[in-house]
Amino acid sequence: MSQHAVSFSGVEKTYRRPGLTGASYHTALKDLSFEIPAGEVTGLLGLNGAGKTTIMKLITGLLFPTAGKVKVFGHSPSDAAAKARVGFLPELPYFPPQLKPAAALRYYGSLSGLYGPALDAAVEAAMRRTGLEPHAGKRVSEFSKGMLQRLGLAQALLHAPDLLVLDEPVSGLDPLAIHDIRGLLASLNAEGRAVFLSSHSISEVEKLCSRVLIMVQGRLAAVVKRQEWEAAPGGLEGIFVEAVR
Amino acid sequence: MMRRLSLLRAVALDSFLSGTRDKLFTLFSVFAFTAVYASVLAGVMAVDQEARVLSDMGLALMELTALAYALFSASTALLREAETKTIYLVFSRPVPRGLYLAGKLGGSLLTSALMLAVMAAMHLLLLRLRGFGVPDCYGWALAGSFLKLAVITSFALFVSLFSTSAVSTLVISGIMWTLGHFAPEARFLAEKAEGLRAAALKTALFLVPNLQLLNARDASGSACALPAAALVPAVCWVLACYLGALWLLRRKEF
Repeated sequence: MSQHAVSFSGVEKTYRRPGLTGASYHTALKDLSFEIPAGEVTGLLGLNGAGKTTIMKLITGLLFPTAGKVKVFGHSPSDAAAKARVGFLPELPYFPPQLKPAAALRYYGSLSGLYGPALDAAVEAAMRRTGLEPHAGKRVSEFSKGMLQRLGLAQALLHAPDLLVLDEPVSGLDPLAIHDIRGLLASLNAEGRAVFLSSHSISEVEKLCSRVLIMVQGRLAAVVKRQEWEAAPGGLEGIFVEAVR
Repeated sequence: MMRRLSLLRAVALDSFLSGTRDKLFTLFSVFAFTAVYASVLAGVMAVDQEARVLSDMGLALMELTALAYALFSASTALLREAETKTIYLVFSRPVPRGLYLAGKLGGSLLTSALMLAVMAAMHLLLLRLRGFGVPDCYGWALAGSFLKLAVITSFALFVSLFSTSAVSTLVISGIMWTLGHFAPEARFLAEKAEGLRAAALKTALFLVPNLQLLNARDASGSACALPAAALVPAVCWVLACYLGALWLLRRKEF
């Protein structure tokens, strides 16, 4: 088993946008190398356009690197062996409004290769863990933003992944929902699962993560460990502001 | 194998259920009912040819309505999933893109088949109310319409993977459907032409399916069963569009 959940080695990602007068190119990531250790909670901080979502999509095989190598548990992110061990929560996940949460989860569970009693058990466990059980009778259209985020997390947990990739998991949520999600992520990490999350909330990252990557304009500006920001006078915020200025 | 089948069934069922739950499906069904019912007027005016007019107009309206629905549905199927980001939740899982595409195509075809079946039931009921039985070759006519829908749905899915919008997919697929009904005439022109024009026309004909072959009721008498010469090209077209779409989808980023 690879000791790193994820490794980036000299990764570059350039987007090509076709136009009438020829294509335009935008480099979102440049010469990016880092590792996400298995079993740790790693945060990803950066301003808008810093390349956070691009990194997450490269890990989940939704994008392909222009140069360099991405490995997930030693495999290419496109390999089924890698995808089977990753759970992904995109920013603002969408679910068909007419569905009840269990139906949505059953669909995604079946896409993760679960069926029969294993699928039933996985759906029930994911709903219980994310606190969706009391809302089982509601349709997605009746869900608040916090409940939608819980459902998003539930679909990511269905196949008991070793790595959770979460894009802005607490964005726009009320304090109680943030508290609950923080507790859930901490318990998942206590089970040995690695969590990689991006956020604009420095305080959230500070509470949850043991290590933080700071991205500036597609480049890795700093890798900060908990001990370092705890020892710094301005904390993680001070380090972040200094890095992005 | 079981896992692959389960995946395929899950995607196809999801595609079918979301298709039938869509307001578009209800709207098209209501439109089809109105259009088929309106064909009674034309039938009455045809006096002694009422049965023929009722059955032919009904079948034509059914095919056009199902075509419009299938085109809308196939043009937006993948685009909508990309826009709502639901595709992220699919392709971040160990779902082979080929299976996903096959499931989407299967679901779309099931929805089209259901729409045809609903419209056929309304049409036959209407014919019965007017005192007529099931027209000759009715089943084969429906089978021909379904095969045309299969060809054009798979073509629209293929086009949707490189076109810039659902509208352009609709237009390109609509043009292909129209050209497909004039393939024999185009072949005739190609044979009359000479030189470079003939070569260009003959080459272009390879890129257009001959949909006239699937008009079962055009055949005279009892020979309306669709021949292998009609079935095999239709299946080949579906397969070719699927493989083309798969080639594009495997390279597509989200």
